[in-house]
Amino acid sequence: MNLLEFSKALYATPISTGIRETAGIIPTTQSIHILAIAVVVGSALVTDLRLAGVLETDETPQTVVRRYLPWMWAAIAVLLTTGTILIVGEPNRVLANPVFWAKMLLVVLAFALTLLFRYPILHPQFQIEHARWAGLVKPTAWVSLLVWIAVIFCGRWIAYAI
Amino acid sequence: MTGSSFLQSLYDSAVGSAIREGSMLFPSIESLHVLMATTVVGTIAIVDLRLIGFASHRSGARQLILDLLPFTWAAFALAAVTGSLLFTSNAPNYAADGPFQAKMLTLVLAGINMAIFHLTAYKRISQWDDALPPPRGVRIAGASSLTLWIVIVFFGRWIGFTVQ
Repeated sequence: MNLLEFSKALYATPISTGIRETAGIIPTTQSIHILAIAVVVGSALVTDLRLAGVLETDETPQTVVRRYLPWMWAAIAVLLTTGTILIVGEPNRVLANPVFWAKMLLVVLAFALTLLFRYPILHPQFQIEHARWAGLVKPTAWVSLLVWIAVIFCGRWIAYAI
Repeated sequence: MTGSSFLQSLYDSAVGSAIREGSMLFPSIESLHVLMATTVVGTIAIVDLRLIGFASHRSGARQLILDLLPFTWAAFALAAVTGSLLFTSNAPNYAADGPFQAKMLTLVLAGINMAIFHLTAYKRISQWDDALPPPRGVRIAGASSLTLWIVIVFFGRWIGFTVQ
């Protein structure tokens, strides 16, 4: 079964029809999706700018990461859940849409950066200036922020690309 | 000039026509609007949660507010500019749209809520800067701000489904 056939089969399922045809489900789900994005943006902004060395530099990276990482994961869980509801409801809008797949690729990248660069920092003995990858922290923080911005742009662009 | 002829002149303006008729302009401006709106709500939520009583990444509420407010204001200014541009492209219909009117009203309420906070509890912040939980008035200001901004996001997204 190719992607288009899968999309058509999913579209025809009762759950997909239910999501699509029950008034208010899609706008409500999208609104919750955007609120979770706001949580990611706030968390990523403060954490990445701290790691980039431009904001809250009087607080340790550990303090800032510890404050925002749980919110980041909670928001990502909400994003995956609401995103899945939106895909099931309107598979024709996303599964054959190149912008959607670009967004998914960027999400995986942002996810990997969050995972790989934040957990070591949480370790009590960790000192960022002594880490082997200390020189990578600042550029990676900027890349992480830019990737999240690109995710948001792609997200809105899904509506126009098909 | 009446209200409706003003809205029509926005619609007919060069800017309004360009955004409506160009294939890339509306989505580009809208994406920027979403990015700025999420920055506004994300940074406000950090401050509001601290006002409600959640410990933040720094203990003092005053310094947290001072550190984040420039981001909130810069993003709000850009959200207002991009929002106005989107409005111009279809002014009469946005003005007649229920969720749009509700969003504008809720924005005004959020502004009033913020003004009251800055004129009252914020003036005495040295007394509760490090207090967790903060005094009741501060917690109420934080909770009402967060609620209003969540409602604004809902109305904002709803406009896209109801505007003619």
